[in-house]
Amino acid sequence: MTSVGDRAESWRRLAMSVLLCLLYVFLYAPILFVIYASFSEDIVWPFPPSFTTDAYAELFDNSLYSDALNNSLIIGLGSGVLSTLLATAGVIGVLRFPSRRRALILITFLAPLFVAELLIGISSLAFNARLLGLPGNLFSAIAANAVEGTAFAFLIVLAQLVRYDWQMDDAAMVFGASPARCFWEVTLPTIWPSLFGAFLISFILAFNNLEISFYNLGAIPTLPSVAWGSLRFGLGPELFALAALTNGLVFAVFALMYVLMRTGIVKFGYRGV
Amino acid sequence: MTKADDRPASLSLQSVSKHFGPVKAVDGIDLDIGQDEFFSLLGPSGSGKTTMLRIIAGLERPTAGRVLVRGQDVTAMPPYKRRIGMVFQNFLLFPHKTVAENIVFPLRMQNVGRAERGERLVWAMKLLRLDGLAERYPNELSGGQQQRVSLARGLISRPALLLLDEPLANLDRELRAEMEVEIRRYQKELNIPFVYVTHNQEEALTMSDRIAVMRNGVFEQIGPRNDVYRKPATAFVAAFVGQSNQLTGRAEMVGPDSLTMTWRGHRLHLPHPDGIAAGDEVRFFIKYEDVEVTPERPAQGNHLGGRLRDIIFKGQTANYIVSLADGSEIIASASSRDQKVAIGAAVSVTWPATAGMCFKS
Repeated sequence: MTSVGDRAESWRRLAMSVLLCLLYVFLYAPILFVIYASFSEDIVWPFPPSFTTDAYAELFDNSLYSDALNNSLIIGLGSGVLSTLLATAGVIGVLRFPSRRRALILITFLAPLFVAELLIGISSLAFNARLLGLPGNLFSAIAANAVEGTAFAFLIVLAQLVRYDWQMDDAAMVFGASPARCFWEVTLPTIWPSLFGAFLISFILAFNNLEISFYNLGAIPTLPSVAWGSLRFGLGPELFALAALTNGLVFAVFALMYVLMRTGIVKFGYRGV
Repeated sequence: MTKADDRPASLSLQSVSKHFGPVKAVDGIDLDIGQDEFFSLLGPSGSGKTTMLRIIAGLERPTAGRVLVRGQDVTAMPPYKRRIGMVFQNFLLFPHKTVAENIVFPLRMQNVGRAERGERLVWAMKLLRLDGLAERYPNELSGGQQQRVSLARGLISRPALLLLDEPLANLDRELRAEMEVEIRRYQKELNIPFVYVTHNQEEALTMSDRIAVMRNGVFEQIGPRNDVYRKPATAFVAAFVGQSNQLTGRAEMVGPDSLTMTWRGHRLHLPHPDGIAAGDEVRFFIKYEDVEVTPERPAQGNHLGGRLRDIIFKGQTANYIVSLADGSEIIASASSRDQKVAIGAAVSVTWPATAGMCFKS
C-alpha cells in the first residue's frame, strides 16, 4: 500500500520536474541561443561549435552602434528618472490625501498602460510638432517615453507604498522634522527600494522602446531603431553580439543585487518592525 | 482650575472643536493642565480622545478654538515647531535607524550639538534601562524594549509636554502593570506634564493625578482620580469607571437625603442626588467592593436574599456572584482570604443606604 503510494508520489515529482524544465527551456532557449551564436564563427548554423569574438569587434567598430547606445542610455535614464519622480509624487498624493475621487485618480494615472505605444508615439509627435512647434529630439523622446513609464512606475510604487505607515511621518514631524526633512530622513530611506524598482522598469521600457522613440527622433539612432533598420540587410553577427551584451548587462545587474541581498550589505524592502 | 502658582498652564485648550463633516469628534473642550500633572483622557473608542491628542500635537487643525503651550498660542503652528514629545501605540520607531539614532532624532532635528546629544543619549538610555541596546535595530527588540525606546525618544529633548497615545495597549498584561508604575515615576521625577490617552480605566486610575472621561467629543467628567472613581458625575462615568452592579427601578418616596426605589419587588434605600422626583426612573450603580455577602440577614441597610452561585478568584480579591430568587445576579468583591460562605449556600447581599450613586435615566 505504502510502496504504491510512494511510487505514485515519485512519478508525480518527476512529471513536475520535467514540466518545470520545459518551462525554463521555453523562456530562455532563444536568449541562450543568441548568446551562444554571437560567439560562433558561423552564425547561420553554429554547429559544431567554433568560437570567435569577430561579431563583437564588428559591433565596436561600427560608430553607429555606439551613438545609438548613447542615445538609448540617455532616453532610458531620462525617462526612468522622470517617470519615477512623477509616479512617486502621484502615489504619495493619492495615499496621503484621501479623496472621494481616489478611484478616478488611480485610473487616470494607469490609463496610459492601455494606450498602444504606436499611438503615444504618433500623438506626441503631432502634439509637439504641430501644436507647440517643437522639433523632435532626445528631450521629446524622453517626455513621450515617460508617459508610459510613469504609469508602470506608478503601479510598482503604489503596490509597495500601500504598506507604508504614514504615522511614521507624523512621528517624525512631532519630533521636529519639517516635511522636507521628514521625507529625506524617514520616508525615503524606507521606500527607496520600491522607487529603485520603478526606476529599473521604466528605464528598461524606454531603453528598449522602438515605436515611441522612433516618431520623436526620426533620423537620430537608438539601439532598437538601428537593430530594426539593419534587418533590411539580413541578420548581421553584430546584432547577435548586441543582443548578447544587452542581456548580459541585465543579468549582471540582477546577479549583483542578489549577491548584495544575500550578504546583507543592502536590504531591499522593509526591516519589519 | 486652581493652581499652586500663577504661571501659565503648561497646556490650555480654549473651546477647541474638531468637526469631520457632520461628525463632531471634539466639541468645545476647555482644559488647563499644570506643570506637575499626570493627566489622563479616558474614553471608549470613537470618543474623540485621540483626535484631541493630535490637535495638541499639531497633527490636526482644530475647526474652532485655541491651543496654548506655556501661555503661547500654537494653534496655527505646525507640529515640528511645537517641541512636544509623543509616544505612540504602535511605537512608530524608525525601522532603518538604530536604537541610539532613534532616540537622538528629536535632538538632531533641533540642531543640538554632537557632544550634548551624546550626553543626553547616555542619560536617556540609563533612565529607561536600555544599556547595551544602542546599536540594535527596532525589529531586534522585544515589545517592551521598543516601548522603552519610544519613551526615551519622547523624553530626550525634555519637551514642554509629553503626549502618550495608548502606549501600553500592545503590551502583555504583566509588562503593562510594570510600565504603568514606571511611566508615573518618570513623570514625577522629570516634572514634565504627561497627557495620557487610554480606553483602559485601570491604567488611568493607576497613573493619573486627574482624569477626564470623554464621550462623543465632550468631557462627561473631569477631576482628581478619586472623584472620578468615587463620585461619578454621570451614569456613563459610573458604568465606565470601576466595576458596578447596575439596578434600574422607579423612585417612590423621596426625602431630603435619601430615596426609596422599588427594584424587582424589593424596596431599596438609596442616597438622593438633586433632580430626582417621585415617579422618575432611576439607575442605581453600586461598586462591587461596596457590596457585602453575609450568611445572616443584617440588622441595617439594604439586603437581598439569594444563593452564592460562584466565587471568581482574582488573587488578592474575589468576586462573589449571588443569584437572587428571580434569577438576577449581584456581584460583590472582597478579600479572597476570608471566604465565610460556601458556594451554593443561602446568603444575604447587603450595602449601607448611603453607598452607591443614583442617576435619573
